[in-house]
Amino acid sequence: MTASQPQRVEVTPKSLTGLKDTRGESIRRQLSSDHGLEISEVRSITGYLVKGNFNETHHEKMISDLFCDPIIEHGVVNQHILNDSNIFSQKPDAAIQIGFKPGVTDNAAQAGLDGLKTLFPSQSIDAEVSTTMTYTFYGLPDNVDCQWLANQLHNPMIERAIISDKSSCANNQWPSLDFPEPPVNIFGKPATIDLEVEDDTLIEISEKGLLALNLEEMQTIQAHFRNPTVRATREKVGLPPMAPTDVELECLAQTWSEHCKHKIFSAKIHHVDTETGEDSYIDSLFKTHIMKPTFDIAKKVDWLLSLFHDNSGVIEWNPDWSLCIKAETHNSPSALDPFGGAMTGIVGVNRDILGTGLGARPIANTDVFCFGPPNYEGEIPEGLFHPNRVFRGVHAGVRSGGNESGIPTVNGAMVFEERYLGKPLVYCGTVGIMPRRLADGRESHDKTPSPGDVIYMVGGRVGSDGIHGATFSSLELTEESPSSAVQIGDPITQKKMVDMLLKARDDGLLQVTTDNGAGGLSSSIGEMAELTGGAKVDLSQVPLKQVGLSSWEILVSESQERMTVGVRPEECQEFEKLASLHEVEATAVGTFTDSGDFHILHGEHTVALLPIEFLHDGVPQLQLESEWIPPTNEEPSYPDVNATEMGGVLSRLLARPNIASKEWWVRSYDHEVIAQTVIKPFCGVNHDAPGDAAVIAPIHGETQGAVISCGIIPRYSDIDTYAMVAGCIDEAVRNAVCVGVDLDRMAGLDNFCWPDSVESEKTPDGRYKLAQLVRANRALDDVCRAYQLPCISGKDSMKNDVIMNGEKISVPPTLLFTLLGNHEDVRKAVSSDFKNSGDIIYLLGQSHQELGASELVTMFRDECGGGIGGKVPAIDTTRNLALYRDLTAAMRQELVVSAHDCSDGGFAVALAEACFGADTGCSVDISEIFSDNNGLDKWGMLFGESLGRILVSVKAEQSAEFEAAMVSNACFRLGEVGVGDEISISLSGETILEASMSALKQSWQATLDGGGA
Amino acid sequence: MVEIPQVAVLTGFGINCDLETMAVFEMAGAKAHRIHINSLVNGDDSLENYHIMAIPGGFSFGDHLGSGRLLGNRLRFGIREQVRQFVKDGKPVIGICNGFQVLVKMGLLPGDDDVSLQQTASLTLNDSGHYEDRWVSLEFNSNSPCIWTKGLSRMRTPVRHGEGKFVVPDQSVLDQFEQQQQIVARYIDPSDKYPSASNELLSYPLCPNASMRNIAGVCDPSGLVFGLMPHPEANHSKWLGATWTREEIGDDWKGEGMAVFENGVRYAKENL
Repeated sequence: MTASQPQRVEVTPKSLTGLKDTRGESIRRQLSSDHGLEISEVRSITGYLVKGNFNETHHEKMISDLFCDPIIEHGVVNQHILNDSNIFSQKPDAAIQIGFKPGVTDNAAQAGLDGLKTLFPSQSIDAEVSTTMTYTFYGLPDNVDCQWLANQLHNPMIERAIISDKSSCANNQWPSLDFPEPPVNIFGKPATIDLEVEDDTLIEISEKGLLALNLEEMQTIQAHFRNPTVRATREKVGLPPMAPTDVELECLAQTWSEHCKHKIFSAKIHHVDTETGEDSYIDSLFKTHIMKPTFDIAKKVDWLLSLFHDNSGVIEWNPDWSLCIKAETHNSPSALDPFGGAMTGIVGVNRDILGTGLGARPIANTDVFCFGPPNYEGEIPEGLFHPNRVFRGVHAGVRSGGNESGIPTVNGAMVFEERYLGKPLVYCGTVGIMPRRLADGRESHDKTPSPGDVIYMVGGRVGSDGIHGATFSSLELTEESPSSAVQIGDPITQKKMVDMLLKARDDGLLQVTTDNGAGGLSSSIGEMAELTGGAKVDLSQVPLKQVGLSSWEILVSESQERMTVGVRPEECQEFEKLASLHEVEATAVGTFTDSGDFHILHGEHTVALLPIEFLHDGVPQLQLESEWIPPTNEEPSYPDVNATEMGGVLSRLLARPNIASKEWWVRSYDHEVIAQTVIKPFCGVNHDAPGDAAVIAPIHGETQGAVISCGIIPRYSDIDTYAMVAGCIDEAVRNAVCVGVDLDRMAGLDNFCWPDSVESEKTPDGRYKLAQLVRANRALDDVCRAYQLPCISGKDSMKNDVIMNGEKISVPPTLLFTLLGNHEDVRKAVSSDFKNSGDIIYLLGQSHQELGASELVTMFRDECGGGIGGKVPAIDTTRNLALYRDLTAAMRQELVVSAHDCSDGGFAVALAEACFGADTGCSVDISEIFSDNNGLDKWGMLFGESLGRILVSVKAEQSAEFEAAMVSNACFRLGEVGVGDEISISLSGETILEASMSALKQSWQATLDGGGA
Repeated sequence: MVEIPQVAVLTGFGINCDLETMAVFEMAGAKAHRIHINSLVNGDDSLENYHIMAIPGGFSFGDHLGSGRLLGNRLRFGIREQVRQFVKDGKPVIGICNGFQVLVKMGLLPGDDDVSLQQTASLTLNDSGHYEDRWVSLEFNSNSPCIWTKGLSRMRTPVRHGEGKFVVPDQSVLDQFEQQQQIVARYIDPSDKYPSASNELLSYPLCPNASMRNIAGVCDPSGLVFGLMPHPEANHSKWLGATWTREEIGDDWKGEGMAVFENGVRYAKENL
């Protein structure tokens, strides 16, 4: 057994000329930037608590070869480094130590343990490590409450903090956390749940158990256990014949959760439209408006390989390679623990790619966030974090998860809106690549399991973390939301597993693979068992993080970094050898069968026996009511402004968080690992202008590319979700067109995040919200058909509501549309920045008086009240597509030197951003545009967000050829890229907007500057 | 004379630039092999089968306990003599980004004549306090014995790190490295006239991490072992440049970064 007292290691940076305590300094700057709190100095001490068979003889090696970098750090064992006056000559005003709570993933500790095993193989067999971080504060203002300070530095849901205040510090009483001992789990035998009870009690069972099952679903389960054949079979295997075990009920709850079964998208909807008089039934929005259009398109093209049924959708990219894409949301966990929630989001969606077909390699990430306003000054309901803190945490989680996994983050967006205060939306997407065929001839997008294949669980172990994630995300967030649903990802364990499984795939060792996400083993094995017609699993074989977990906990735990794979019995030895080389845990836990049952044992005892058909197809269809009554919104009011003041309007618009530069945040994502990123998040002479879509060339040295773009405009939902969805899709396509996408090979992803839209006491406006969903789906259907843009995968998250202290905050209906397209030759890709003075500027596409819910009127509303108007941009897919085709052809002839889409903030914002890229101004005349469009005024022209518009520039000597190429489209020559700092826009001989580019750029860059160097 | 040099590109434990590092060596005319470090430790394979060793970028062990530290220990304690022999045999070694951090933490860089694997310098957190991905300009020391940078003057590459600040305990150590021409690559302001590399610390973000004396890369006294924080392999083709859409590019799309790998491969061909 391990020695009783852990060894305490403490490490702190040396003070050398030119060397800072950067961790402490970062905290100091953050407190200053977020709270205006000025502290003269913050220092940091990293602590390690080491349990194991160690004594004084090991200390020196432990310090100098492992925990402490002898060049730049001091380290001590079993002493307080704060007592060493050579290192800490001054007593701090406060010292705060942060450590994890028991059972929370501590990645640094795991790394430390690995290091101990390298240095001391024999002492480390039972070793355990945990880490702490201590901050010491100097020049802390007297009025600062240390508890408040500690709260800014830790999240009590996952971390512990202890404080030494000024007097404790003066007395050398230093904070010193104990080793976080997890509580002892007592293994409980499976319980039997009696369902022969009143309906009220059925609901109570569901609610108390966090099962998220409604009455009808509970009754369906009740009915299953009344079936005499079922009872007879159960008796034979030694199960209670007339009632489910807790294992079975949990397994059904996970499998039938909204999260896994998409019950609202599958519901039968009675839809009434008070505007048109429509009164109709829709049998599944998903089948009607998402699957059907895609399958209709699939009849006409031959490159759609895998649609809807796998962890991601797959397209053929060329004869040698396929591409796949998936996006997920991780909203509820990110609200409770922004860092861990977002990190598990990104590494989770990476596993969807790894679990597609026989395994794809993740090659690009996308991140789209919706937060409350970063400068929000109103009340924050108790239990929620300030949006700024959510932002920092989510960003850090995605940065850490993506960067450490070696996957570039190439595209994304950030949206700020008050209604995201409750639940932030954290969309994480991943693109994968897989060989079209494996060496043995199998197509790698197909799974090929047979009965008899051995089921392996690979990667991390199962713990009590992450229990009830799937059902929890199917409920609104409340004070009672369980902390067990929150986890921290471990990218390195996952990276080792990715390397190993892709090698196993290439060696032909995998027959089937899927990830363990929502619902854990229950879902992963349950889903794959459908392919062979059954599975038999022994939970006692599953490796655990801590002993004593009950059967149902092992089955549904969503502990991260795990895949489930199927391997032929004769290839198991080779598979296990590969796992051992990569130091990846791979454990056989069962076999696939064709028995028709999901048969779960714990040791010798059967603990669950559920027919596969009942498990997957037994959930009853919801019947829902939808009613559309068009909303009325007050018209906005526009101020009287001269040209300079109009420049001021543009400047304020550029400073809005939705439009402002995100460079400070995005630059800390690795967007170039894999050495394939052609069009990056940044472009322009100073590398700081915004790119539109990403272009990657994933095969090194080859010039075929892939385009990744997205569209998101939740503002429009307040007027019409049809327009919102149409706008999103057009934005994604427009962005892709700007870089030169191949319009004949594009695929889409729809990610819906909706507020609860089932009418109930909690949601009296459920019919309206459901009608919003119906209209959104109809737009998706219409626009995807028109653009021949099949949705190949997607996801919905339908309960984005928070109820805290009786107050409900619901997100606005939000769609993220992600596009993955082909690029024929990346050497012809186009970026958004203007290139050289003298180049000719054109606006392509028609401008209409469509300011409804635009960023401009939202700004006026925020500044001085007024409405958001009613005329939201409408889509004309025929006109837009014709323009996109002609522009794409012109790009292939290399006639276009820049292209930037007009979206948030409209034409004027696009013009300013293209100028930022050239570090120059310009002078344009927009008179011609007015001749073409009735009813347009200067506000609509400058800041309206009409769809289908792209701002391009062309070399003067190629302008005639370009104009000829665009002759069938709306194409307006506006002027030239200029020199100097002035931007001016004139109309009928009068200057209506003038501004200094450098001033505009400053306001654009200042809003979201995260602080620091 | 080696016709096609065989390159061991190490992988495992969070190394993640292995595929592009293999690609650039193949583009430069070598044969690249992806070698899991454990297969060198367990004896399935040996470094003696290869002519060049490359430790690619990545996030080995999540950078916990200091970037490169734990992977450096795996090499220092797991295959110590193999590594020493490889260097003593006069075979080239390159470490990029996390690979550079590994070489520094295990003491192979800046190193010494005996290949004693004693750490004498370190790489620590950027002064900015955060990880970042941005393009920088490098200038190479034309008097350096480094075989990887022969004939190179300047190069544009991305840096992608949070711990790239090169530090030593005492400035005299740097003087000594400088005297031995071991300071191979420095961050510079591309608008300054060549040569402009200097000891005067450049402002952020020209020197992205506040590295002492703007150091971006160093070699060992022999010039065979080279490590740098920036990623030359990420500029293997001109379409990967930060501003390539603003430049007139003829038919030659080979990126500036390739010269480093071509130098290494040429050296192996001519000397091994």
